[in-house]
Amino acid sequence: MAEFLELESQDGVRMPWNVIPGTKQESSNCVVPVSAIYSPIRPLPNITLLPYSPLRCRTCRSVLNPFAIVDFAAKIWICPFCFQRNHFPPNYASISDDNLPAELFPHYTTIEYSQDSQIDQSPPQPPLVFLFVIDSCLIEEEMGFLKSSLSQAFDLLPDNSLVGLITFGTLVHVHELGFAQIPKTYVFRGNKDISKEQLLEHMSFFAKKPKPAGVIAGARDGLSAESISRFLLPKAECEFAFNSVLEELQKDPWGVPTDQRATRCTSTALSIAASLLGACVPGSGARIMAFIGGPSTEGSGAIVSKNLSDPIRSHKDLDKDSAPLYHKAVKFYEGLSKQLVHQGHVLDLFACALDQDSGLAITYQIFLFSIPLHIGILNVTMEFNDWELAASFSFLHLIQSRIPGGVGSDNLCWGLISCMKFLLGLSTVGVAELKIAVERTGGLVVLAESFGHPVFKDSLRRIFQAGDYDLGLSSNGIFEINCSKDIKVQGIIGPCASLEKKGPLCSDTVIGQGNTTAWKMCGLDKATSLCLIFEVVKKESPDATIQSTSNQFYFQFLTYYQHYSGQMRLRVTTLSRRWVAGPGSIQASFADLVAGFDQEAAAVVMARQVSFKMETEAEFDPIRWLDKALIHLCSRFGDFQKESPSSFSLSPRLSIFPQFMFNLRRSQFVQVFNNSPDETAYFRMILNRENVANSVVMIQPSLISFSFHSGPEPALLDVASIAADKILLLDSYFIMVIFHGATIAQWRKAGYHNQPEHQAFAHLLQAPRDEADSIIKERFPVPRLVICDQHGSQARFLLAKLNPSATYNSDGPLPGGDVIFTDDVSFEVFLDHLQRLAVQ
Amino acid sequence: MASYVPPGAPRPASNANNPPSSHPPPNFRANPNSLADNLHNLNFNSAAPRAPSPLPGTPFSRQATQPRPPSGPPFPPTFSHPNEPSPWIVPPPGARPPPFVSSASRGLASNGQPVFASGALPGGQWFPPLGSAPQPPVRPPPTMAMARAPPQPPTATSRPLMGSSLIRAPPVQPASPFSAAPQARQPPTTAYPYGQPTWPLQPGQGAPPPPITGSPQPPRMFGMPPPLPNQSMTSVSSAVGQIGAPVAGASKIDPNQIPRPIPSSSVILHETRQGNQANPPPPATSDYIVRDTGNCSPRYMRCTINQIPCTDDLLTTSGMQLALMVQPLAIPHPSEETVQVVDFGESGPVRCSRCKGYINPFMKFIDQGRRFICNFCGFTDETPREYHCNLGPDGRRRDADERPELCRGTVEFVASREYMVRDPMPAVYFFLIDVSTNAIQTGATAAACGAINQVIADLPEGPRTMVGIATFDSTIHFYNLKRALQQPLMLVVPDVQDVYTPLQTDLVVQLSECRQHLELLLESIPTMFLENRTAESAFGAATKSCHQLALVPFLQETLKEELTSLQGRSIVLDFQEAHKLLQPADETLKAMAIEFAEYQVCVDVFITTQTYVDIASIAVIPRTTGGQVYYYYPFSAVSDPAKLYNDLRWNVTRPQGFEAVMRVRCSQGIEVLEYNGNFCKRMPTDVDLPGIDCDKTVMVTLKHDDNLKDGSECAFQCALLYTTVNGQRRIRVTTLSLPCTSILSNLFRSAELDTQFACFLKQAASEIPSRPLLLVKDRMTNLCINILLSYRKFCATVTSSGQLILPEALKLLPLYTLALIKSKGLRTDGRIDERSFWINYLSSISTPLAIPFVHPRMVAIHDLNSKEGDQSLVPPVISLSTEHVNDGGIYLLENGEDCLIYIGNSVDSDILQQLFCISSVDEIPAQFVLQQYDNPLSKKLNDLVNEIRRQRCSYLRLKLCKKGDPSGMLFFSYMIEDKSSSGLSYVEFLVHVHRQIQLKMSS
Repeated sequence: MAEFLELESQDGVRMPWNVIPGTKQESSNCVVPVSAIYSPIRPLPNITLLPYSPLRCRTCRSVLNPFAIVDFAAKIWICPFCFQRNHFPPNYASISDDNLPAELFPHYTTIEYSQDSQIDQSPPQPPLVFLFVIDSCLIEEEMGFLKSSLSQAFDLLPDNSLVGLITFGTLVHVHELGFAQIPKTYVFRGNKDISKEQLLEHMSFFAKKPKPAGVIAGARDGLSAESISRFLLPKAECEFAFNSVLEELQKDPWGVPTDQRATRCTSTALSIAASLLGACVPGSGARIMAFIGGPSTEGSGAIVSKNLSDPIRSHKDLDKDSAPLYHKAVKFYEGLSKQLVHQGHVLDLFACALDQDSGLAITYQIFLFSIPLHIGILNVTMEFNDWELAASFSFLHLIQSRIPGGVGSDNLCWGLISCMKFLLGLSTVGVAELKIAVERTGGLVVLAESFGHPVFKDSLRRIFQAGDYDLGLSSNGIFEINCSKDIKVQGIIGPCASLEKKGPLCSDTVIGQGNTTAWKMCGLDKATSLCLIFEVVKKESPDATIQSTSNQFYFQFLTYYQHYSGQMRLRVTTLSRRWVAGPGSIQASFADLVAGFDQEAAAVVMARQVSFKMETEAEFDPIRWLDKALIHLCSRFGDFQKESPSSFSLSPRLSIFPQFMFNLRRSQFVQVFNNSPDETAYFRMILNRENVANSVVMIQPSLISFSFHSGPEPALLDVASIAADKILLLDSYFIMVIFHGATIAQWRKAGYHNQPEHQAFAHLLQAPRDEADSIIKERFPVPRLVICDQHGSQARFLLAKLNPSATYNSDGPLPGGDVIFTDDVSFEVFLDHLQRLAVQ
Repeated sequence: MASYVPPGAPRPASNANNPPSSHPPPNFRANPNSLADNLHNLNFNSAAPRAPSPLPGTPFSRQATQPRPPSGPPFPPTFSHPNEPSPWIVPPPGARPPPFVSSASRGLASNGQPVFASGALPGGQWFPPLGSAPQPPVRPPPTMAMARAPPQPPTATSRPLMGSSLIRAPPVQPASPFSAAPQARQPPTTAYPYGQPTWPLQPGQGAPPPPITGSPQPPRMFGMPPPLPNQSMTSVSSAVGQIGAPVAGASKIDPNQIPRPIPSSSVILHETRQGNQANPPPPATSDYIVRDTGNCSPRYMRCTINQIPCTDDLLTTSGMQLALMVQPLAIPHPSEETVQVVDFGESGPVRCSRCKGYINPFMKFIDQGRRFICNFCGFTDETPREYHCNLGPDGRRRDADERPELCRGTVEFVASREYMVRDPMPAVYFFLIDVSTNAIQTGATAAACGAINQVIADLPEGPRTMVGIATFDSTIHFYNLKRALQQPLMLVVPDVQDVYTPLQTDLVVQLSECRQHLELLLESIPTMFLENRTAESAFGAATKSCHQLALVPFLQETLKEELTSLQGRSIVLDFQEAHKLLQPADETLKAMAIEFAEYQVCVDVFITTQTYVDIASIAVIPRTTGGQVYYYYPFSAVSDPAKLYNDLRWNVTRPQGFEAVMRVRCSQGIEVLEYNGNFCKRMPTDVDLPGIDCDKTVMVTLKHDDNLKDGSECAFQCALLYTTVNGQRRIRVTTLSLPCTSILSNLFRSAELDTQFACFLKQAASEIPSRPLLLVKDRMTNLCINILLSYRKFCATVTSSGQLILPEALKLLPLYTLALIKSKGLRTDGRIDERSFWINYLSSISTPLAIPFVHPRMVAIHDLNSKEGDQSLVPPVISLSTEHVNDGGIYLLENGEDCLIYIGNSVDSDILQQLFCISSVDEIPAQFVLQQYDNPLSKKLNDLVNEIRRQRCSYLRLKLCKKGDPSGMLFFSYMIEDKSSSGLSYVEFLVHVHRQIQLKMSS
C-alpha cells in the first residue's frame, strides 16, 4: 500500500493496476478497468519549476521526459510514445550524460514549466474575476447569514480581483457597481432567456460606439474598458457599492402566495452572469459564485412548478421519467456549461436550502412487514423538527421493544430508514440539474442546510483563505494526454469538459468526457482529481518476441493552467507501467497483477464508474453490477477450491476490496433513495473531484475509537464497536460524528471534565475533537460535525454508517448495547454469499 | 376687458370682498385644494364671510326690477341710431324692432353715421351705480369716445366696431379691487429660471369683481331673453355678385363694417330657466355668472342650437349641426353656487326604471307624487316610498325647492355600492422622463425634473396620493423610492421589446413616504445622465411598462410623461399622402392605449422636442385615456421650463376625476349619434374616461330618430360617474331641457355661434387625418355657406339678391370659418407635428377656448400706459389685419396656447427699454422670458399677460416677433383678415361666400 502512496506523492497518480494486464482480453477479465486517478495540480514535495518552454516531439507533440532514449552524441532523443527521433535544439547543445536537463532526471517524472516567468518578471496578471450571483428569495434570517458571510468573503478577496454582483429572484438584477450617483441595477425578466448579443445591447455596451461586427469578446474586441468597468470593478473601488447593495438587499419583493413557491429564476441569472463574463472577460479566469437558497421555479432551468402541491422531483420520479422539467433544465445547463467552458469560466455553487416550503419535509418510510417477508410499505411524508425527529425515533424504539420478539406471523416491525435524509435535512435547489454546469467547469460545490451553518460559512471562507490550507484555485486549465499506441483513452470521469480533440488515442468506447485527447478544466485546485479510464487494445498474440522488446506502457499527462499566482504553467507527468500478458505465464502474470493492484484506487474507480453508470444508463442496477464485478474479481484472483466456499481466500492486496464494495453498496452513491437527487448529485460531484484517500473515506468511513484503556485506534466499522466507555470518531467525509458511549455521555452530562481531578476525562473528551478539527481544517467542503451521545437521536448519523452486525433481528444485544433498525445484510452475511458465489 | 369668463382659473369669490393683500393669492399654487373643493361642491363660495355682499341675491333681485326680459325696449336705442334705418334690413321674423341688416353700399353711403353693430353697445347708460363700491368692467361713457373721435380720420368714426372698442378703451377706473391686487404680484419668472413663474404666484388680480352684479342689465349681444330679434348683416353689393373679381368686391365693401367679434366687456348674469322656459345662455366666450334654476349651467353642457328642431328635415334644412358640448367638470364662476351633493344612501339615486335616467327637475310627478314620468323615455315609474312627497297646487312636489335634484340642472349624487366595481383606487401619479442625449442636451430633462419637483408639493397630501417615477432612453429606468436607508435605487429595464416592471411594489409609493427621496432623485437625474449617449428613446416601451405597473394589483391612475424625441416615421414628401402622416403609424399604440384605458390609466404627454416626433402616433394614447398632449416646439431651455412647470402643475392640481364613465341620455326623438373627445369607447352607449378634468370637453352629436312635438321640451342628461381626487365615487348629473320648435327662423335665432363653431372645429379636426386638406377646407366653407344659404333662402325677407344676409346669431360664422381655413391645422405649409398637435388640441378643447384658438386675440401693448385708469386689464382687441399693425407699435397676439409679441421696426426705444430691457429691435432675443422691470409699462404688460393666462388657464408660450424674421412671418400668418398665400382676405371671403349663395339660390 505504501508504495502506491509514494507513487502518488511523486506524480499525483493512483492506478488500480500498476501492472497492466497487457491484452484486451486480459484487461476485460480483470473487471476493474485500467485507469488512473490523477490530481493534475496536486502539490508535490519534489516538484521543479522549469523557467523555459518544454521540448516536444515533432510528431506526437509529447514532451521530452525521462523515459525518452537520448543519444547524447547525436543530440537526438527518441520519443517513447511514437518512437520518433527528435533533434535537440541548439540550446541543448551542452547536453551530455552528466549534464542533463531537469526534465530528463529519472525521478522528475512530473515537472512544471512556466513559459512566461522568464521573459517578463511582471507580466500583467489578468485579475481574477468574481461574479457573485445571489438568490434573494430567502427568508430574512437566511438573508442575514448570507450577507454577513458574503461581506466577510469580500474582505478576503485578493486586492486586484474584479468583482461583479447579480441578484435574482423573480427577476434578475445586474448591479452596475460602477455607477457612482445612485445604486443602479439592470433588471431582466426571469422567464426569458437572453443571448449574449441581446445582453450587450440591453446593457448599452455600445452606446457610444458603433457595434463592432462579429464576435464580441472583451476589451480586445471592441468593448471599452470603461463599459466593462461598469459591472466588474476592482475590489477596492467597489467595496462601498458592493456592501451597500448587500446591506440593502431585501427579500425578493414579489409576493408569494401561500400555496406557491417563490419565483426563482436561477437559470436566467446564471445565464446572464455567464454572458456578462463572456462579454467582458472571456478567456481569463473568472468565477461565477452562485448562492442559491431554493429550487428554481422560473425560466428554462426551472426544476419544479411554482405550485406547492407539485412535489419536487425525487429519485423515483427521475427513474420513472416523471419529472417533467428535469430534462429541459439539464439541457439548459448543458448549454450553459458549453458556454462557460468556451469562455473558460467557472461556476461555483453554494446551495443552502432550509426548505422554505414546508420546514423539514422528509419522506419517512415505515416498513410494515411480517416475517418472513414484508407485505407492504407505508409511506408517510411528514414535517419534522429535529426534536420531533428525536421524539418519533424514541417512540418507534419504544414500540419496537414492546413487540414480542421471535418468529410469528403477527410480528410487526418498524424500519426507519432515510437516515441520510436527516444528515442534511435539505430541500432541493436543483443541484442535480446544475451538476453538469458545475462539474464541466470544475466549479466548487457546497451544499448545506443553511447559510448560517458552519458547513457553508467555513467553506466559503476557505475558498478565499490564503495560507496552508488554501485551495490553490487555479483556472483555465487544459489537460492533454499522450500514451503508448496500445492504449486508448475511453474518457475521464471528473470535473472537466471535452475539447473534442479527436485522435488515434480515442477509444470507441466512451465513458464520461471521452472521444478526445484534450479536456478543458476551467477551474481546478489542488484536490481536483480526474479519473482516466483506458482501454488496452493490444491483441493477444502468441508472438513472444514482441513482448520482449518492450513491456512498458507510457502515459503522459499535460496540464496547462493559470496558476493561482497568475502565471501560466504546464505540468507534465510521464508514467511508465509494465504490462504482463501471455497465456504461457498466467500464474506469473496473475501474481504480477495482484501485486500491482491498488485496492483503494480500484474502489474509487468502481465508485466513480458506478455513479456514472447510474446517471447515464437507464435501468442500471448498481447492486447487481457491483456484485457481479466483485464476484468476478474474486473468482479470478481468489484462491479457492471449486465449490468449496470455506477454502476461499484472497491475497492481502485484494483483501479489503470486498469490504469497500460492501460499503459502496450501502453508500449514498448507490443507495440513492434515501437522498434527494440534489444530495446524490452533490455527493457524486465531490466524489468525482476528490483524490483517492478522501474518496475512500466517502465510500468507507473511518472509525476511530478513543478510550481510557488505549490511545486512539481504528475501530471496525461495525455496530459492535460501540461501547459505553468509548468515544468514537466517525469520518464519513461529509459528516464527522463524535459519538460518546453511554457512560461517557453520562459523565459528560455530569460535567466531570470540568473538574480538575478528572483531567484525564477532559483529555479524553478533547482528543476526538482535536482529531476532528485537524481533519476539518484540510477538507473542502467543510464537513458537518455532529457531536452526539449513545441512544440520542443524533446517534443515527453514526448508526447509519455502521455494519449492521446486530439488528433487531439478532438474537441478543451486543455488549455495546446498540442495534440498528435495518433489514440490510451485515458484512458477514455479505461475505458468506460472496464466497459461495465466487467459488462456483 | 375682463370679458371672458375664465373657465379654469381658480378664483375664490371672496377675493373681491377681502382686501386682496390679506387674502391668499387665489392662484393655482396656493389654492389647489380650494379648486378641488370647488369641484366637490364644498361650499367654496358660501363659506366666505360675505353676508353683506351684494352677491348673489342682489343681481338677481335687481334683475327682477329691471325691465329686462321682454324683448328689446331698452335695446334698440342702444344698438343703433334709430333714425338711421336705411342700411338695415328687417330680418324675416319681422316684427322685431332693431333692424340690423344693411346693404354695404348703403352703409358706405351713409358713411359717417356711427353704425353700431349689435355688439357695440356704448354703455353710456351703464354708468356704474356710484354707490356700489366694486365696479364692474363697464364701458366708458360715449362722451369719451366722442372726445377721442375727432382726431381720428373720418373713416374711423364710421367704423363702429373699432370705434366702440376705442370707446371702451379709455379707462374709467373705478376704485376697483384691482387697485390693491397688483401689490401682491410677484417678481417675474426670471427670478426662478426653472419655472417658479409669476403666473401662479400672483393673486387673482383678474378675479372679476363679483359686484358685477352691480350692473343690472349687462349689455348683451347674443344673450337676449328669448325672442331676440337682433339679426345682423353684412352687405355685399349686388355688383359683387356679378363680377367675380374679389378685388372689385372688396373695393365695394367697407372692411370696417363687416362683422367682427366684439367681446362684451361686462359680466352677464344668467338664469338657466326663467318662467319655466329655458333661457338661451350667453355666448361661451363671454363672461357670465350662472344661476342654476333648473337647467344646467351652460358651462357644463351647451347645445349648438338652443331650440331643438322638431324634425330631422328642419335641422337638415337649416344646415346647422345639432350637438352638445359637455364639459362635466368645468370650473364654475366663483360667484356661482357650487354643485350640490345629494346622498340617497344605500339605495342610490332615484332613476327611471326603464331608461335609467336620473331624477331631474323635469321628471313629472303625477298621481299625488306616487308616480313620475320620465322625461327621457316617457315611462311612468313608481316613486320609491321613501322618496314620496305630495304635490303642491302647481303640480310640483312640495319639496321640489328643497331638493337640489328637483330644482337644479346640475347635481352630484353620492354613488352607492352598486356603482363601484371595487373600491375607488388611490390617485397614482407616475412620471416618466426622457433622459436620452437629446433631452439632456436641450435641457428638457432638467426642466421636467425641476417642474416635477415643484409640482410634487402641489399634489394632494395624504395616503391616497401615490407617486412613482421612471426615466427612459433606449432602456427604461425605474426607481425604488421606498428605501429606508439610502438613496433611491435605479432599476434599469433593458428589454424594451418585452417590457415588465422590475418591482411589484415600491415603484409607486405614498407621496408622504418618499418625498425626500423623490426630491433628491429629481435633483440628481439631470446630472446623472449627463454622460448619456443614448440617442434613441423607447417611448412606446416606457409607456408600455407603466402599463405593466397598472397590471400590478396596486392600481394606477394618472400617468404624466415628459418626452422629448422619438424615432419618428420618415416624413413622406409626397403631398398627396401627407394626411396619412396625421394618422397613427400603427396599431400597437392604439392597442396599448386601450389597455391603459382598461386599467384606468390616464396618460398626459409633454413633448419637448427639437425635431419631428410623430405626434399623430403618440397622441393616440392621451386621446384614448382622457389625457392631453402638451407640445413645446422647439423646446427652449430658457423660456419653456416655466410653461412646462405651469402646465404640469395645472394638470395635476386642476379639478379632475378618475375612473369615469359618461353617458348622455336624450328625450325620445333624439338620440346620441357619436361622442367626440379624449376617451376610450368600449360600449356604444358609454364613454370611458380614465381621467377627466375641468378642461376636457366631449362633443356629443345628436340625431333624430323621431319627430318631436312642437312646444314640448327635449331633455338631455349627462351622467358622469367618477372618483374624486379624495377617493369618493360620485355621479355628476347635468340636465338640460330645451324647447322644441318647428320654425326655422327660431333655429337661427337660437343658434349659438361659439358652440356651433367649436363643433365645426372638432369635426374639421377629426376629418383632417383621413381626408385631403382641400376637401376639408371645402367642406368647412360649404358648411358655412349652407347655413347662410338656408337662412337667406327661408328666413330672410330680402329684396335684393345682391345682399349677403347673415343671421345675427351667426354673423361671425364667415370670419371664423375663414380663420379655421387659415389655421395651422388646415394650412398645407405647416409641419406635420404641429398639425397633429393642432388636431389633438382641438379634440378635447372647451368651447370658450376653441374660438380664440383659431381666431386669436390681438391687442396693442405699446400704449398700455396711456390707458391709465381703465379698470380692464386687457386693452381693446384689434382685428387681425396687417392694416392695424403699425411699425411703431408692439402687439400681443394670443390664442390660448401661444402668445406672440410683435415688435414693429420703429418702436420707440424707450418703450423697448421699459418692456424688454433692450434698446433696439435688433437686440430682440430669440428666446424670451417675460420679466417685470421697475416701470409702469412693464408692470402693465405683466399684468396683462397674467390676466390672459388666467383667462385661458394656460401659461402661454411667449415669443417675440419682428419683421423680416421667421418669427415675424409667424405673427403675420395669424392675420386672418389679410389676403395671404393660405387664403382669401376676409372681405374676399365674404364675397366668395355670397357668390356661392347666389349661385345656389339661382340654381
